[in-house]
Amino acid sequence: MKINGVQIEDTFAEAFPMKATRIIITAMNLKWAYQAANAIRGFASSVIACGIEADIERELKPSETPDGRPGISVLIFAMSIKELEKHVPTRVGQSVMTTATTACFSGLDSEQKVSMGKSLRFFGDGFQISKVVNDRRFWRIPVMHGEFIVEETTGVTKAIGGGNFLVLAKTARQGLMACEKAVDEIQKIPGVITAFPGGVVGSGSKVGSKYDFLTASTNEAYCPTLKGQVESALDDNVGSVLEIVIDGLDEESINEAMRVGIRAACSFGPAKGIYSISAGNYGGNLGPYLFHLRKLLK
Amino acid sequence: MSALTFTLKSQPKFTLDVSPITPDNLQNLTLDKIKKIKLIYGKEKVKVEELFAVKGNDKNEIIINKSCTQLICVGKKMTQGSIAVKGDVGDFLGQSMKNGIITIHGNAGSWAGNGMSGGRINIEGNVGNYTGAGFPGDTFGMKNGLINITGNAGDRIGDRMRRGIIIIQGKAGDYCGSRIHAGTIIVLGKVGKHTGVGMRRGSIILAKKPTYISATFQSCGNLKMQFLRLLFTQLSNISDDLIFFRKYGPIAHRFAGDIARNGKGEILILKTLTKR
Repeated sequence: MKINGVQIEDTFAEAFPMKATRIIITAMNLKWAYQAANAIRGFASSVIACGIEADIERELKPSETPDGRPGISVLIFAMSIKELEKHVPTRVGQSVMTTATTACFSGLDSEQKVSMGKSLRFFGDGFQISKVVNDRRFWRIPVMHGEFIVEETTGVTKAIGGGNFLVLAKTARQGLMACEKAVDEIQKIPGVITAFPGGVVGSGSKVGSKYDFLTASTNEAYCPTLKGQVESALDDNVGSVLEIVIDGLDEESINEAMRVGIRAACSFGPAKGIYSISAGNYGGNLGPYLFHLRKLLK
Repeated sequence: MSALTFTLKSQPKFTLDVSPITPDNLQNLTLDKIKKIKLIYGKEKVKVEELFAVKGNDKNEIIINKSCTQLICVGKKMTQGSIAVKGDVGDFLGQSMKNGIITIHGNAGSWAGNGMSGGRINIEGNVGNYTGAGFPGDTFGMKNGLINITGNAGDRIGDRMRRGIIIIQGKAGDYCGSRIHAGTIIVLGKVGKHTGVGMRRGSIILAKKPTYISATFQSCGNLKMQFLRLLFTQLSNISDDLIFFRKYGPIAHRFAGDIARNGKGEILILKTLTKR
């Protein structure tokens, strides 16, 4: 199968179950909402070492936010509710509460919840005020910029992590140009994020390592510099491999994100250095979600 | 399905306890059995059919027509559905209700929303004293829910309330929000004396500057309160009749108190209709 001359490998991406929440950050204007959102998604590229994977989902109009101010929705993924419970309050506390004029709300309504204001309220040192409006509990924490308003909890839902595809290119520059366009297209799909910096993984990993203390290590089969040294998956033309990893709230969102992302990358074609599209999997042993490239592109 | 309608045949001489007429109590009853339900009328018990003409079959939607102030305990302990009353009602409207919606197209007596812990009461008229308040001896008044009064309210509104929201679109009497433990009271018209006296926590939001404010409230100055923006946005999302809250802005003069009770509550006096 080829799209615009780019070979689509007969393989699949293997994804695994995660837990996710959506938080809504509002502020005086979008600039300051972005400051908080960028802070919370910092060092949240992979659960391997960051604990969570987080990224901006989309901008929200004032009419879409609980307090009528401009906002940003951020999706946060983790391997368990326990991990979310650990990371969400600390990140909201250190990244959102510290950003001037912000407020933070739940963007998901569900039975399962993790705490936000429930933990952060203690920062108010006894001066915090609880307000229940529309059956939602908010905490008003007096802070130096005025009041930080944070919802008591945020909803948690089942989610999927690790949807991915690999862009095999002649050079890193050409590969990155294709990936940038792919990420731009993926960002238009609601319910998905590409948590790595710029949405692109420059150092895709495999599970395990020769070192016992390491859970993930470089994916040598896709490292261009090791082509002659290991059993490489790359042919002579390929000089760079970039990966786009997609986390999503459901299977269909990831399907759609992979579809638009791959098509965008393929639009560059071999003439612009894009040779083939592959995907990362672990032989079907890691996760129950398999995204077959050729099937989803039909 | 048509709404289950109770039309009062004539104005009762004595108070009539209509608390059995709720969606919860009527759920599994036939129309004949509903007509045979006994209501406390003064010192006696009388059947529904002796006082009301009953028709309809949707037990989740109850309408009481030609109501008057002799009808007390409308919607007592209800947990679901809706009751609409055309006319006035007496005391104890929505007492201890937990969910559902009561709409009064008229005035209501005292103790409306007493002990309520959820749901919504709309009163498209005036209301008496002690709305959302607790009975003498009760620790708390209303514990949750929303009371929306289009007209004026009497004295001691929300006395000892624990949680919930009371909106008074007209004027409120004296001792509004007295001794409240928490919760929110919004008065868009004028308010009487001793507002918030003895309050521990909670917010009393006044659209008009009161002529009198207790010396035991300390001025915190004019502030842009993001909480007000959130509150007004959330209220305007509840229903169309509250959409007018969108015109209210977040700037208010904050008074903290009641310091006589070491309180951490607040009286917020809105500074005109400000841009959001």
